[in-house]
Amino acid sequence: MRLFLNIIFTCLFTINAFSREIGETEITTDEGIEVFQKENFYLLKKNVKINSDNFVLNADKVRIDFKNNLYDIVELNADGNVRFDSEEFKIRGVGDKLKFQVKIEKLKIVGNNSQLTTQDVEMFSDGFIEVNNISGEFSLKGLNSKMVNENILIIADTIDGVFNNTDDVRKIIKLNVIDDKISYIKNNDTEMFAKKIYFSDNTSIIELIDSVTVIRDGEKISGDYGTLDTKNNSYKIKSNNKTKVKVIIQNNE
Amino acid sequence: MNFFLYINRKFIFFFGLLIIVLFLIFIISKQFQLNNIEIQIIENNIEDTDIEEPKFAINNASKKITITAKKGNFLNNDEVLLNENVRFKSNDFSIESEKVIFNKNKQTAESDSKSLFRSENAIITSDGFNIYDKGNVIIFYGKSFIILK
Repeated sequence: MRLFLNIIFTCLFTINAFSREIGETEITTDEGIEVFQKENFYLLKKNVKINSDNFVLNADKVRIDFKNNLYDIVELNADGNVRFDSEEFKIRGVGDKLKFQVKIEKLKIVGNNSQLTTQDVEMFSDGFIEVNNISGEFSLKGLNSKMVNENILIIADTIDGVFNNTDDVRKIIKLNVIDDKISYIKNNDTEMFAKKIYFSDNTSIIELIDSVTVIRDGEKISGDYGTLDTKNNSYKIKSNNKTKVKVIIQNNE
Repeated sequence: MNFFLYINRKFIFFFGLLIIVLFLIFIISKQFQLNNIEIQIIENNIEDTDIEEPKFAINNASKKITITAKKGNFLNNDEVLLNENVRFKSNDFSIESEKVIFNKNKQTAESDSKSLFRSENAIITSDGFNIYDKGNVIIFYGKSFIILK
């Protein structure tokens, strides 16, 4: 009877003392924590689960750098089977490694089949995906890098750009897309191929460089250089050899 | 009447009384033995404890960690086994455990017992811990649970 009461008391005490309350972050690990006080970081080892009001993160190992105390987190580095989800910020991601710099709100996911999904866009890469929430800058590098949203599909080895942070709906205001083989952008009714594709919202011009092909309304035009004006939806294709711009008009009926 | 079927009441009464007395003597003797064992355990405990309420300290450049316990036993020249209410306390944190081996020379401590770390904004529970590098490095072993406030 006494043993039974002790067990009940211990269980109740444990649950009351160590369950997460609002505003608190709960972390569990299978193989402990190493706290390096002089170097201001701690390591969370094996099957790490971090659960807070804003996000949930799972990983094999996590290193957390802090400023003054364990809670004062400066940087988080997660390693192995990283998976996180933030209901509040409507963002979730998967990858081999994750680096989050708290102050500048910079997030980097590294590894094969890396994935980052926000409210507006989905990003995929076998290299890395980097997003800066404050500046709006983003970067995808590596094989199978891809960005998808309602209106646009971008496929290339390197996709760099900037989202505007002023409007409710995030739109791309700068874009640099590079692929030694070929980059691909599909925007509404137009498909664009080129080794380099640049876009600036200031000029509203999409610039296509090297091995350029534009497909629209059954028209396929190839050349070495092209521009597409997004304001009036017109485009021009040039060739280094002036006599060699190739136009194919397809019958879609 | 068969002699063997004849029941002597007095004989049964005295025989029963004898059994009861023997049973009481047995119980009382066992109780005495138990008391003696308890007294021996208490005496042994007193004899086995080398230091009552030991106090030690780990000093590094930035902080001092004081170590207290209810009992302590010298394992060798350097190591002390601290038992019951073992507490490591600095300005920033405290660690509580029931059994810790403290090395006075190396200023290290290790424990295989359940441990509870508390600081202003954090609580850590673990299956044991290890303190080294003069308290700058603390390793919590086994399944661990952290609450950051």
